[in-house]
Amino acid sequence: MENKEIVLLKKALERQKKARKQAENILEKKSKELYDTLIQLKEANRILENLLDDESSQMGNVFVNMVDPYIVMDLKGKMIKMNTAAEEFLGYTIEDDILLSDLVHPEYKEYSKNSFSALYATGVIKRFRPRIFTKEKGLKYIEINGSIIKDSSGKSIAAQGVLRDITYESEMKSLLDLQRKRLNIIVENSPLGILLTVKGELIKSNKTIQEMLGYSEDELMVLQTQDFISLESLKASQELRDEMYAGNIHHFSLNKKYLRKNGTFFSAKTTVNAVHNNKGLLEYEVALIEDITNELELEEEKIQLVKDLESSNKGLQEYAHIVSHDLKSPLRSISALTTWMYEDYKDKLDDNGVFNLKMMQEKVESMDKLIDGILKYSTIKSDNLDNSSVDVNEVVKEITDIIYIPDHVRVVAVNTLPTIFADRTKIHQLIQNFLSNAVVHIEQKNGLVEVGCVERPKYWEFSIKDNGVGIPKEYHEKIFKIFQSIGNKERSTGIGLSIVKKIIDLYEGKVWLESEIGKGTTFFFTLKKQK
Amino acid sequence: MLNVLFIEDDAIETMKLNRTVSKLQLKHKITEAKNGEEALAFLRSDEVLPDIILLDLNMPKMSGIEFLGILKEDPILKYLPTIVLTTSENRADLLECYRIGIAGYVIKPLKYEDYEIKMASVFTYWECNELVKA
Repeated sequence: MENKEIVLLKKALERQKKARKQAENILEKKSKELYDTLIQLKEANRILENLLDDESSQMGNVFVNMVDPYIVMDLKGKMIKMNTAAEEFLGYTIEDDILLSDLVHPEYKEYSKNSFSALYATGVIKRFRPRIFTKEKGLKYIEINGSIIKDSSGKSIAAQGVLRDITYESEMKSLLDLQRKRLNIIVENSPLGILLTVKGELIKSNKTIQEMLGYSEDELMVLQTQDFISLESLKASQELRDEMYAGNIHHFSLNKKYLRKNGTFFSAKTTVNAVHNNKGLLEYEVALIEDITNELELEEEKIQLVKDLESSNKGLQEYAHIVSHDLKSPLRSISALTTWMYEDYKDKLDDNGVFNLKMMQEKVESMDKLIDGILKYSTIKSDNLDNSSVDVNEVVKEITDIIYIPDHVRVVAVNTLPTIFADRTKIHQLIQNFLSNAVVHIEQKNGLVEVGCVERPKYWEFSIKDNGVGIPKEYHEKIFKIFQSIGNKERSTGIGLSIVKKIIDLYEGKVWLESEIGKGTTFFFTLKKQK
Repeated sequence: MLNVLFIEDDAIETMKLNRTVSKLQLKHKITEAKNGEEALAFLRSDEVLPDIILLDLNMPKMSGIEFLGILKEDPILKYLPTIVLTTSENRADLLECYRIGIAGYVIKPLKYEDYEIKMASVFTYWECNELVKA
């Protein structure tokens, strides 16, 4: 029994051992399973954690909803996340599998590469400014600010960044630069000196004023205004500046005296303009400086010339009066003596003597008239021409009645002369001078003086042709100068043709002549038709 | 009858006046002075002052206008009516004479006949006037 019991017990133990082994195996198996699960859980947890990190970097900020384009790239630069704005701006989605570097303009590739190296090294990228090709909006100038995304273990896994379209900004900037450049060209090449001051302190000067003053830009910058502007000019402008600062005037202009580096002065017209800031306060004064030394000198010269001319004109008029008086006095004496000769000796004179005395009186009279005419003419200027209708035929008739015409000379009009609008006395004087010249210089047996006129669109062209001695070429200009007589006749006063010239000038005409020695002379003159 | 001081440098002008006076049978007493200085010397002498002065303007040395200026500066002589007798039609002269103070400005005509007529009128006119008389 005992044995049996032992056997039973042994068997039971055996079973128990087996069962325990089994249980152990199960336990071992279970605990392995448990361990595996734990590991899995841990891994899962870790992934979750990472995911959470990613989410926090991507979503934690307001990037997704922000207006600016936001992108996430993997380390190879492939876009893996974009917000709507980024999609719209770039024209791509992450499904397009694009690399940022594909979009960068070739000229910016190198710059791009360097910037990304810096990003990987420092973890951030700031003011990265490449030009990129967008799908639909063409080439854009952008600015990217971004950073590296790391996982929980601190390993870099991606990069994120915010894009900003700075195309407009940069266009504006380059436009501004261009305009600044152009403005500088204008300022530097201005014939006017330009000074820009703030509260009386010089902050900018152009080349012109530097050259005017003889200072370099740097030298000028450290000077005080009284170093290059005369005190009296400063005083003169102070009052105006006060007015400007008070807002009563916006600009003023005055002549200032400037002091050059070499100690000499020059006068310059200076115009100062006030430039206000957006608060309405006077911020800048811009002075434009024009050297008027030459102008002032010219002006003074002009004034002096006009003065001289006035006094010489006055002198000439005085002279004319004196000369005419001195000529007229003896005429009066001759006239009186002739009259007395007749009165006292009329009984003793024959007809011829009486006639000669009468002729003498007449000649004295016409000379007196001539003197009067010259005197009047010398005092008459273009502003008191007494224009009326003048029949030139009548004038020629009057003249031939008055002047001395040698018996062998005839004066004829070759055509009907016009009626012109002019000053009768002047026209009379004019033609009389030509005719009296013509008739006395004829040595041929049959002297002929022909007066003619041709109508031109704007002028009357008169001609006085004679068959006289002719005028040598070298005198053709000289004869129109005052007191230039080339004749050897007593009647030549030398004043006639200069009067002619003066009258023709009054009527904006010309005078010229054609002459052949021994054959004759033709004087031509034009008179502008008066309205 | 007028007492006339005639200031004139030209001999023929003097002859003209004298001939006119005698031809018209005027009884005026003509005192001749050949220039301004001579005239002033006469006026400042003890002689009786003239009733009127006939004055030529263009004279050597002292001109008529200078003489006139001196005359009008004098407290007594300034009352003497002075008639300018000249060939000068210079408006500047005319204005200056009236400015200083004259009693007439007569232009010498060219013809002697006209001169006679003019001078007759001048004398007739001054005979009608009340004169200062010294």
